[in-house]
Amino acid sequence: MIKPVRSIVIVGGGTAGWITAGRIAAEHQHNSAQAVQVTLVESPSIGIVGVGEGTWPTMRNTLMKMGISETDFFRECNASFKQGAKFAKWLNGQEDDFYYHPLMLPQGFQKGDLSAAWRREGGARSFSEAVCYQEAVCEHGLSPKLITTPEFASLANYAYHLDAGKFAGFLQKHCTSTLGVKHVLADVTGVVSAENGDIAAVRIKRAETNILDELAGDLFVDCTGFSSLLLGKHFEVPFVDRSDVLFIDRALAVQVPYAREDSPIASHTISTGQEAGWIWDIGLSNRRGVGYVYSSRHTTEAEAEATLRNYVGVEFAGLSPRKIPITSGHRELFWKNNCVAVGLSAGFLEPLEASALVLVELSAEMIAEQMPACRAVMDITAKRFNETFLYRWDRIVDFLKLHYILSERQEPFWVDNRKPESIPESLQALMSLWKFRAPGDHDFTSNNEVFPAASYQYVLYGMGFETDMNWRSESETERLFAEEQFLLNERAVRQALNTLPSNRELITKIKQYGFAAI
Amino acid sequence: MAKLVSLHNKAHQELRISPEKAEYHGAELNMVPVMLSEFLKLAVQFPIALTKQKETGKFVCVSMLGFAEGENLFWNHSTLKTLYTPLHIARQPFFLGRSDGEANPEAKADDQYVVCFDAESDSVVTNGGELLFTPTGEETPYLTKMKAILAELLDGEARTQAFIDTLLELDLLTAMQLDIAFANGESHRVNGMYTVDEKKLNALPGEAVVTLHSAGYLAYIYAIITSTGQIYSLIQKKNARLSAESLNV
Repeated sequence: MIKPVRSIVIVGGGTAGWITAGRIAAEHQHNSAQAVQVTLVESPSIGIVGVGEGTWPTMRNTLMKMGISETDFFRECNASFKQGAKFAKWLNGQEDDFYYHPLMLPQGFQKGDLSAAWRREGGARSFSEAVCYQEAVCEHGLSPKLITTPEFASLANYAYHLDAGKFAGFLQKHCTSTLGVKHVLADVTGVVSAENGDIAAVRIKRAETNILDELAGDLFVDCTGFSSLLLGKHFEVPFVDRSDVLFIDRALAVQVPYAREDSPIASHTISTGQEAGWIWDIGLSNRRGVGYVYSSRHTTEAEAEATLRNYVGVEFAGLSPRKIPITSGHRELFWKNNCVAVGLSAGFLEPLEASALVLVELSAEMIAEQMPACRAVMDITAKRFNETFLYRWDRIVDFLKLHYILSERQEPFWVDNRKPESIPESLQALMSLWKFRAPGDHDFTSNNEVFPAASYQYVLYGMGFETDMNWRSESETERLFAEEQFLLNERAVRQALNTLPSNRELITKIKQYGFAAI
Repeated sequence: MAKLVSLHNKAHQELRISPEKAEYHGAELNMVPVMLSEFLKLAVQFPIALTKQKETGKFVCVSMLGFAEGENLFWNHSTLKTLYTPLHIARQPFFLGRSDGEANPEAKADDQYVVCFDAESDSVVTNGGELLFTPTGEETPYLTKMKAILAELLDGEARTQAFIDTLLELDLLTAMQLDIAFANGESHRVNGMYTVDEKKLNALPGEAVVTLHSAGYLAYIYAIITSTGQIYSLIQKKNARLSAESLNV
């Protein structure tokens, strides 16, 4: 007997819950009898973690697919543009130590590699400066587009910084009013199992009325945050601890007001290396979000707070930092029976490179687009989902670890990070190859890659890694190609600096005039 | 730089404006904002399109006069060779300013707007031209005509904006895809210009068409669509100019 998947119950209403609800509802939205009904049940008493404020450019597609207006998103989520990350003091901790991981590929990357030609320049300028004009755009505090550029279109590639709490509320409104998602306010108190071990229903206690009830469904999405209520607690899927590789286990976060209403807004995430971790600094339209993520094995909470206070400066007085414990790792599986976990319930590594929200988006996309038509094929989808995401978590772990292993900093946190036993074998193998050639697309051949080869180049060469290319000689064609690309990049820098308004100016205009859809 | 001065029948009794020289204001415009009320007159000579204002990103209706910035292909030997002169050029050198009470203390409180002129304009002349006031301080027919143009522009702006809003609401606009190759081999990509998408227009549900019809918008929409063909006459003008230039070498 074929049992079609009609009713989807999402447990938990943070950004993960609402993005998943929105993507599924938008993908399967039709008013026919076959329509999929999405219900999101959310506890009124459990708050959301909501510190994820950095996104990837994928978020533009996620918003578009849900039919959201970019103008509304900017206005209601205190959003701003993000054009990459600036890593300061990761290499040696000196004042002039920084590099960029921009959101655009190196100039001409599809046609040829510039890293060898850049190295022959002899270190006159950093890799990211030589090959990508976005660094100059960020250093000048400029936005990635104009007020005349249509919604979601770009001149320079961009992602967003956003207020995660506001974003969840904004998505909730859109999902319930436009996409037909049912919103149930209730505490989930237990699970009703079916004979085959599936979740038949979740037991709930409705808010206000305290009425006990059951919510039945064909597919359950666990978006319950760190508590991992369905996948972790009910199904007892083991947690794979990755803290042997990634040492961050605490976050201290504060919200810092701008000095003036028209203070500049950085158009990139600033990530500054510290004694036992790093500090994120994210400029929203109305405030900054700043936080120290550190390893409690390498510093104390009091020292960490002092480090954060020192970074923020005088504005720190009167702010009380929020403490968030982090266990770096993920579940052994993400989809079991008729339950799939999305967001923190599936796992979390650390905030570096904003991998949390992108995994939510990728999960929601795969669930929405690969929605099993009936229970009979669900196990096949589940297996494919698990393979895809285990691969992705592994690649993310590798890429995050890469940021730490090339540092020359001497504090114990950084020294420990360089110990070979803390570096995954897959990354060690790549590092051996890259001693003699630059990261290229052939190093990353899966359909499920998260970070392209270009990202590895930005981090490797930003951190001063030496690739010895002397074993092969450069052809005249390659030399001319590189020369041309460097010139094109310099021209792009001039053009961008002449054309683009400041990040603050454009965000103010979006609030006043909005973008046109075309 | 324009220097706007509010008009006063005593202070400016001797002021003379040369209407021919006023056209110089249009000499280097490759497009000019246009009003709904002009569409049918414009469509016989100019492409009518939409573009976004640089500062706000808001759409405006424009007539295209040339391709490159500063290129007015209708400007020839110091005159504008047009069958109809767009109001935004015909109004020169006059503007409407918001009355702040100070610029014109005699203005009545309910007079929101005052007529200003550009004191730096080449059209301000000492001999010839048109007087604005009679010796007794009455408006001359010339000024009356210019004020009527200003009034039409003021009224037209809101009406044209409402029309644009409707086009956007119904999602009828599309970016022009135009790559033009001129006779001398030079090519030009038309960027940032929008027009009405005929496919979307034809696919509109009945109710929407009725809305457009009752607002009187259908004629304007078809004027835009028809006028797009005038791009070919613009290309011809450009080619003629290019071959004239090459003969002069």
